[in-house]
Amino acid sequence: MNKLFLRVLSAMLVLVLVVPGSLLAQDEMAQMGDDIVEACPAPQNLPDTVTIGALFTLSGGASVFGQVQQLGVELAVEEINAAEYLGQGRVLEVIFEDSASDNTQAINAMVKLVEEDRVTAVLGPTLSREAFSADPVAQDAGTPVMGVSNTATGITDMGEFVFRNSLPESAVIPGTVAQAAEILGINSAAIIYANDDDFTVSGFDVFEQTFADLGIEVVGVETYATGDVDFNTQLTNIISANPDLIAISALAVEAVQIILQAQSLGYEGALMGGNGLNSPAVLEQTGDASEGLIVGAAWNVAADNPLSVAFIDAYEAANDLLPDQFAAQAYTGAWLMATAIRCADSVDGAAVRDALAGITDFDTPLGLFSFDEDRNPVHDPVAQVNRGGAFAVLTAEMMDDEG
Amino acid sequence: MDINVPQQVVNAIGLGSVYSLFALGYALVFSVLGVLNLAHSAVFMWGAFIGLITVTELDQPLWVSLPVAMVVTGVFGIILERIAFAPLRRRGAPRISQLISSIGASIFLVSLAQLVFGSQPQRFPIGLIPTDPIPGLPFRVTPIQVVILVVALLLMALLQFLVMRTRLGQRMRAVAFNQRTASLLGINVSSIYLLTFFMAGALAGAAGVLYGLAFSSITPFIGEPIALKGLTVIVLGGLGNIQGALIGGFVVAGLEVFSIAAGGSNYRDAIVFSLLFLILLVRPQGLIGQRDQSRA
Amino acid sequence: MMELLSSLNITESVIQFMLINAILGLSIYLTLYTGMFSLANAGFMAIGAYTGVILTQRLDMPLLVGLVGGMALAGLIALPIGLPVLRLREIYLAIATIGFGEVVRILILNFDPLVSSIIGQDVLITEGALGIKRIPKLTETWHLILFVVLTSYFIIRLHRSRFGRAMAAIRQDERVAANMGINVVYVKNAVFILSAMLAGAAGVLSGHLTRIISPDGFGFDLVVNILAFAVLGGTSTFVGPIVGAVVLTGLPEVLREFRQYRGVLNGLILMLMIVYVPGGLINPAGWSRLWRRLRQGRRDDPDPDAIRTTTEIRRPEET
Repeated sequence: MNKLFLRVLSAMLVLVLVVPGSLLAQDEMAQMGDDIVEACPAPQNLPDTVTIGALFTLSGGASVFGQVQQLGVELAVEEINAAEYLGQGRVLEVIFEDSASDNTQAINAMVKLVEEDRVTAVLGPTLSREAFSADPVAQDAGTPVMGVSNTATGITDMGEFVFRNSLPESAVIPGTVAQAAEILGINSAAIIYANDDDFTVSGFDVFEQTFADLGIEVVGVETYATGDVDFNTQLTNIISANPDLIAISALAVEAVQIILQAQSLGYEGALMGGNGLNSPAVLEQTGDASEGLIVGAAWNVAADNPLSVAFIDAYEAANDLLPDQFAAQAYTGAWLMATAIRCADSVDGAAVRDALAGITDFDTPLGLFSFDEDRNPVHDPVAQVNRGGAFAVLTAEMMDDEG
Repeated sequence: MDINVPQQVVNAIGLGSVYSLFALGYALVFSVLGVLNLAHSAVFMWGAFIGLITVTELDQPLWVSLPVAMVVTGVFGIILERIAFAPLRRRGAPRISQLISSIGASIFLVSLAQLVFGSQPQRFPIGLIPTDPIPGLPFRVTPIQVVILVVALLLMALLQFLVMRTRLGQRMRAVAFNQRTASLLGINVSSIYLLTFFMAGALAGAAGVLYGLAFSSITPFIGEPIALKGLTVIVLGGLGNIQGALIGGFVVAGLEVFSIAAGGSNYRDAIVFSLLFLILLVRPQGLIGQRDQSRA
Repeated sequence: MMELLSSLNITESVIQFMLINAILGLSIYLTLYTGMFSLANAGFMAIGAYTGVILTQRLDMPLLVGLVGGMALAGLIALPIGLPVLRLREIYLAIATIGFGEVVRILILNFDPLVSSIIGQDVLITEGALGIKRIPKLTETWHLILFVVLTSYFIIRLHRSRFGRAMAAIRQDERVAANMGINVVYVKNAVFILSAMLAGAAGVLSGHLTRIISPDGFGFDLVVNILAFAVLGGTSTFVGPIVGAVVLTGLPEVLREFRQYRGVLNGLILMLMIVYVPGGLINPAGWSRLWRRLRQGRRDDPDPDAIRTTTEIRRPEET
């Protein structure tokens, strides 16, 4: 009798102490998808395994992006399955394919995913040019495809099954330039960019247009080739023209060198970049040379957004590597796709497409996320500044501190 | 536009010493074997990684990492010679086959590095070498730029001395001139080949480490852009001419810097490769070389 | 059959690119067969692709016009390039043509600003690094099959002609060929132009499959790939490069599960093939000799079927 009493008592104690504790813990821990639980109840009609494809450039020169995209998607899928987001006992499975930075292999891989594996949806491809080659395959088959890093204009014009969640440079740079110009009083600028890369060329066009719109004089434009490491000559030219600001339209690897070499050539003005520079690794690898670097981007590393903080922690714990924007957008893309499948309660391409197009104000590491009617992303971009080795949101007060 | 002439001259010398350092081993192999080893850039990349892991994983000081990398990449050179070149040479295969085989070796080494090290850029720890420019000069130059220049000049001089003034060099030149005669003279031809490849590998390794220090971002792909530039450098210098490689490096760098300084950064590479094209048509022996009947 | 292929990931799109690559393989076959180690194919492919796409997409011409236009311009540009360059031999020719390819790529990249500054108004022709997008997918599998078959027939006829025998003679020994009264310069340049036209055709046809063309698709990597088709298949007959192209295009798809090792394998294949199977896969004489050699335990006799480019390739001191 006593024993039974003790058991009941201890069981009650456990209930009282542990259960609310764990509930509380869950409340504290940010969890993707919480805000959609009510609108989309746990799905009933999905198969036991829902398969999607992920087409990234995992080998070749651009694999530096594809590999972190894979890590981002893997983390998301792990969380999605742990949370039984697609319903009890149902798992999301991802087939990763490599496009090897090659348009023809991107097409072949997309055909395999869509026609042979018959996946419900596809994430990727990594490069915009691969998307222009491969996305029509998915469009023709009625399979939703979501670019998580495509920033070229015209991607989603390929059809109503083509989505992307990556804000292009034109969505992030003008606001950042305007804000920085107001705070820092910028009258002249120079631009350096790779002239053989569609992303950096688009970024250059946006910078040039924005400077013209704001009446900022462009005193120098320099180009380099992807893979270059020595930018001293271009920077010497630029510095001779004495700009208030150097705009860097580059990807992270080259941006690191440009920032370091600008410092060693004695440049003391402002530096600014776009999405390509939005990586904690850029700050880590440049040290104090990037103090004050302004980065306009789609993902707010500095945010106190709990989902973003949780993502950074989980990603770093899993991979021993700080996530960059490519990882964040890939992670978000996987969650968006899972959410669409959950809400559609179907693996039918058209149903998932409709659910995806209907996503509005979904809470993600990128902020409150929606698709517009052209299946392009809508969320707030951010202007950040490097203060003491970490990104912080750019504000007037912050720069005043410095002066 | 103002052109900061002294600074651009310094930039040209800095870039040129990188190209020269890279091209020395390239030129050495061509001079002794008459072979274009396109895997040189892959060995160079491995040198950078080996230098890096000696410092970051094995916790060795920087000055240890340079010789370690040189020895390891020297061994790479020997393995390359054994697997990719020696069987072809023994069979008397055309020299073009050796070029193709070296392309295969290059793809293999780059892919292997990607498997082992991943694609994310890695760097030597910040603060390992001083990065601030040397004070008190009318232009800006960092200590590592000076080190690269000095090392490139030293290695070139050492190599030149070795090839021209020592018994070993005499044997190397004999093998370069005519392998069969050399072997009749009692020279162990096969060991000369191995030694040449070891030295070329070690040179690539040294270049890789210094490059990794100067440009602080090491990936499996760092060899690719410099491979084609290096080709221009050694063609300009006269294929297989060691001094020529050094001069070619500075000429190509000077041309690049000049084209950018003059406002043509878009056409920089077009100018360099047009020069490559023209030099071959007009003066295949290179800018300073004399026509070498056994090669051209 | 189709099920077997699809279980190996060989879909129709893979077969289409196999055929495109077969055309590229034939393009490099012609020059190699004539003893010229030219690596200009990627440059000519780019020229063909841009010409063809501009004709069909901007000027609304049918694919056939694009194809003819692309081949014609590639051939026209090959003429002034070939005349000086083909005097060079083996490695020197290889390097010069690599330089040519890079110059083509960079000029296409900067074509719009260059033309704009010359004619004084902004034009949009090659669209720089962004490339030409949204190209209509006009190429059908049967176009490619027909093209490969016609080209193969043409090459067979060529081999049986006087011209074809002159090609073989030049490959054997250029000086002897000249002494025999063969117009070496004419034959070499004509072959170079034919090779450029084939590369140009491959460019047109592939541009209308990939739906985007941009300069970075025509770099040194592509040259290496094309060369690999010839090395793997061998150049003793025109079937060799076709087989090489089919195998090397299919292999990455078949090996998708081992994708992280693909680069390593590609490198090894290229290196080991040239070292141990120098005549390539399609080389009956080489295989029977290898068989004899294995049975007799002899090795290292010179291989007459190795990729051969000039009279002086086998330096006497190396035998």
